[in-house]
Amino acid sequence: MKHSFIALIEDKCTSCMLCVRECPAWCITLDSHTVEVTEEGARRPRKVNVLDSFEIDYSLCMYCGVCIDVCPFDALAWDEHRALVTADREDMLLGIVELRPSDSS
Amino acid sequence: MKQEFTWHKVDAGQWFTTIGEQRDAGFTYFDFLTGVDRESLDPDKSDSQLQVEVIAHLAKPDLSDSIFVHTCVSEELDSITDLFQAASWHERECAEMYGIAFTGGDSRSLLRHETLSRSPLRKSTVLAARVLIPWPGGAEPQIKEDGRKAGNSSRRRQRPPGVPENWLKS
Repeated sequence: MKHSFIALIEDKCTSCMLCVRECPAWCITLDSHTVEVTEEGARRPRKVNVLDSFEIDYSLCMYCGVCIDVCPFDALAWDEHRALVTADREDMLLGIVELRPSDSS
Repeated sequence: MKQEFTWHKVDAGQWFTTIGEQRDAGFTYFDFLTGVDRESLDPDKSDSQLQVEVIAHLAKPDLSDSIFVHTCVSEELDSITDLFQAASWHERECAEMYGIAFTGGDSRSLLRHETLSRSPLRKSTVLAARVLIPWPGGAEPQIKEDGRKAGNSSRRRQRPPGVPENWLKS
């Protein structure tokens, strides 16, 4: 496995913010909101975080992998994506869609 | 090389003569010279106090023995380039990283541009990227749209790890 890209497995992310807070380069931003889910048989509705946006700024990321280590749900993983080459810094800000693992596209 | 290190603490005034003596005593190989900021993050301490420890490591040419010579300085220290020419590079690096003037040495800057701000490895130097940019981890995930937290409202506010407290006052 190449350590050339950090991918987000969106379904596993619970918006717990651990990666955002541990990132030494401050390159991850995350936005979420809470919804109430009523499960059958449950006494009270359960509150669930829904991920609205997740961005890694690859112009700041130093590929240290702390976010991957710290994620309790393995929602972040090393990936074999190509290294980013771009003339525009804005193109290095990748969201949920761009961060999908290469084997799931 | 033996594992126990010999440390020899000297006053700043004795820096040049001590290193000269050690060189004459057989420590003719100059390994490196570096600095350590010993200042605490106490804002009351002024810059005139002795803050930076300068350390030089000398060894015998066969590496059978070595010695660390160290001293505490505030701003100025005698250059030892007359004893070891190779110390010039280390002194220039130490000068621009810790803001120490090595009198008698090469005063040109080494790696950093001359117009850049003060010494980056001093603890009193505030890292602009950690002060001007808001920490992305400050947002609480459970804040509802009306601004009310969904439970755990008494939880302590998170702070960015590794950023000194007094940087975040404003």
